[in-house]
Amino acid sequence: MKFKVNGQARDIDVPGDVELLWVLREELGLTGTKFGCGKALCGACTVHVDGEARRSCVTPVAEVEGKEITTIEGLAPGDELHPLQQAWIEENTPQCGYCQTGQIMTAASLLRVKAKPTDAEIDAAMSGNLCRCGTYQRIRKAIHRAATLSEEAK
Amino acid sequence: MDRRSFLRATLVAGGGLCLGFHLPGCGGRQKQMRDLAKQTGDLRPNMYITVKPNGRIELACNKAEMGQGTTTGYCMLVAEELEVPLDQVDCRFADSQPEYRTSFGMHQTGGSTSILEAYIPLRVAAASAREMLVAAAATTWSVPRAQCTAEAGQVKHAASGRALPYGQLTVDAAQQDIPDEPALKEPGQFKLVGKSSRRVDSRAKVDGTAPFGMDVSVPGMVRAYVIHGPVYGARPTSINADRAKAMPGIIDIFAFEWGVAVVADKYWQAKRAAGAVEVEWGKGHVEGLDSDAMKRQVRAWTIPGRSVRNDGDAEDVLKKTGMKVVEAAYEAPYLAHAPMEPMNCTVAVNGDTAEVWVPAQSPSVIQAFVGDVLGIPHEDVLVHITYMGGGFGRRGSGDYAAQAALIAKRVGRPVQMIWSRESDMTQAFYRPLSTIFMRGAVDDNGGVAAMRYHSLSQPISMHLFEFLGATTPRWMPGAWKRSLIRSAMGMFGSNSVPDLFAAEGAQDTPYRIKNVRVEYTPINSELPMCFWRSVGHSYNAFAIESFVDEMAHAAGQDPYRFRRQMLEPDSREMRVLDAVAKLSSWGQAAPDGYARGIARHTSFFSEAAQVIEAKVVDGRIDIRRVYCVIDCGVAVNPDLVAAQMESSIVYGLSAALRQEITIENGVVQQDNFDSFPALRMHDSPEIIVEVLPSDNKPTGAGEPGLPPAAPALANAIFAATGVRLRAMPLEKAWAAHQASKGGAS
Repeated sequence: MKFKVNGQARDIDVPGDVELLWVLREELGLTGTKFGCGKALCGACTVHVDGEARRSCVTPVAEVEGKEITTIEGLAPGDELHPLQQAWIEENTPQCGYCQTGQIMTAASLLRVKAKPTDAEIDAAMSGNLCRCGTYQRIRKAIHRAATLSEEAK
Repeated sequence: MDRRSFLRATLVAGGGLCLGFHLPGCGGRQKQMRDLAKQTGDLRPNMYITVKPNGRIELACNKAEMGQGTTTGYCMLVAEELEVPLDQVDCRFADSQPEYRTSFGMHQTGGSTSILEAYIPLRVAAASAREMLVAAAATTWSVPRAQCTAEAGQVKHAASGRALPYGQLTVDAAQQDIPDEPALKEPGQFKLVGKSSRRVDSRAKVDGTAPFGMDVSVPGMVRAYVIHGPVYGARPTSINADRAKAMPGIIDIFAFEWGVAVVADKYWQAKRAAGAVEVEWGKGHVEGLDSDAMKRQVRAWTIPGRSVRNDGDAEDVLKKTGMKVVEAAYEAPYLAHAPMEPMNCTVAVNGDTAEVWVPAQSPSVIQAFVGDVLGIPHEDVLVHITYMGGGFGRRGSGDYAAQAALIAKRVGRPVQMIWSRESDMTQAFYRPLSTIFMRGAVDDNGGVAAMRYHSLSQPISMHLFEFLGATTPRWMPGAWKRSLIRSAMGMFGSNSVPDLFAAEGAQDTPYRIKNVRVEYTPINSELPMCFWRSVGHSYNAFAIESFVDEMAHAAGQDPYRFRRQMLEPDSREMRVLDAVAKLSSWGQAAPDGYARGIARHTSFFSEAAQVIEAKVVDGRIDIRRVYCVIDCGVAVNPDLVAAQMESSIVYGLSAALRQEITIENGVVQQDNFDSFPALRMHDSPEIIVEVLPSDNKPTGAGEPGLPPAAPALANAIFAATGVRLRAMPLEKAWAAHQASKGGAS
């Protein structure tokens, strides 16, 4: 099965029903994407497939054949930080951190379609991502901050 | 612990300081330090601090990082006394070495004690290193020590303009004596402590590099998926794994004490094959258990409990005529912890020893669980700690580690066992179910003349076998230990000694009520319980602060003023209560039809008070805002204290509103985030926190923000609707109330 991950062409030999989450973690060693529930209820497994947020724990790898996948490791080039990652650090957003890569990936796909989202748009986009540490208001603030950082960078 | 006794303790630790393993007969601590400096250039004067020749400071942190920000707080305390920039400190998690047992005789994280415990000892450790570095520079320059200062990672001699970075002084510093009582900074001299620095772990947590439990990889490692039975503790009587064993990557599939282990090279292979295994189950430990039946039984209970507090004569006053008597029963369900990272553990068994990599709150408890299940001494289990995707008390237990150890022993290779979310939620170790009966008398002056509080809940102490095993002295023979622990648990179970946690928050209430009687009756079941964020306070505060509110309304008084008059004047409790009333503009109407509820609670030596603005619209409980004031003594990092309040409030309100674990015929009915839901971004309230400045030593911050949340919400709902909800989860109680009225919301 051929697809691209973080810009690199990959050819993985696994049954087509294996979930993308485990292919990324175990076949490709990309452990930044997390397992939280296995039923697309928590969002910890969020990656981008052709730029759109997808829950990789319920995505059979056969569905992403020929597509481009981005994980947290590939969100920004090399050691650079995406404005969302920078904003997360500035706002002291993470606590345990386990949900945060999934939160950031969902937020990144929001900012792609809406450079300056409102609170309501953020809530709607992010409501699929659970945080048991309760960092929601900091996530929202960090998304606004990232939108500003991106604007300033232009 | 004062400085002197801390230093004595580390001097006695001796051999354990040398490169992280015990070297009996290694000689004095000073000699070890000098030998190490000679070999590697490292200065390691104590179990916490290593100054490297490149100038970086390595901190061995004997606490877990589960989001509370302890690694940041510890790095700040070290950087403060060692006079280095915060980003010059590298934090690693200490392994399970004996010298790290600084918390209740264990190496553990819990009870909101991490900063409290280390505030002086960690600073002493850092200050010792600082003084040795200064002494080394002074010796090199042949100048008096008093003329040298430590600043920004260097020792400077202002008079001659000379400076040396720490990295160049490590070997010479190791020749110095380790100071008995190094000088600590006065609070007025703090540069870092008290400031809201950035977390030291944020970068790794936003770029995906922070290693959690299932990110660990050890050579030769295989993965295991566990099929657990429908009833907790059920053991398979037969399995048919023929089809599954033929699937790709499968190494073995076998029944063991706790279920069926499916072992494969990769986790996806194990998980995939598990679906093809047929299992017949024997009886579990809680066959026939029915939580609704338990609740009904407890609600009908009339026998008094064992008294844990009896001031004055509450029974007598409650019988007097002319008193307005208020009576209510409050109910709280079993709760799972449901951290974001499901339980997992990696174990390698090597003959008579074992090595464990695990996101756990207590390496000591892991040693006890794994040692006991393998039949090896606890100290022969080496535990490495990773970052943790939430603990909340669940990871203070080691049951999952014991299961991983059994699998690893059988397989003969290192095994990484990852539980499904379903297993994570249904395999017990819950917050106890409780019912609390309250009776109070309001006198003619509108004050509380008497209060009787009878709590019925499952004692956590009965399930602390391995926990207690982790704390008993290591010299004690195993048979004595087991016998001692069984006796203790028997006493808790029979209530001859009341459970340690069950009445906390009630028996020690600071309200000045002349006649107070607090009683406890244990409800026993075979379902294991565990510490759940704020423990007994999580249900006792709901009862007490809801009931105080009911008495206030019965007395026709404002709930804030009613509470205020029962508190000691000029006390910390009163200051915090006053502060939240001010912060929330108590007394003025809240906007848009919202109403306010207030609650205060003392826990973990800290004071927290909250006001919540809520209303009910179309049957939905809508929370607009939570105001929270906390007094936790010196806040090492005020922003991270505020973050803990936000965290506790979201966690506590998730539970208060919509979470419960119910059991029907022994089977847990909730197993994922659809049946055990939590607050999400769109229904979380805005949270405004005020951290009160204080000169007192640091007290708890991780848990005290939770207890006031549920009662403040219930009180707000009453203020908004006139409906008093006394059972959590509140959404269910509201629906039941509406149904009993026979009307729509």
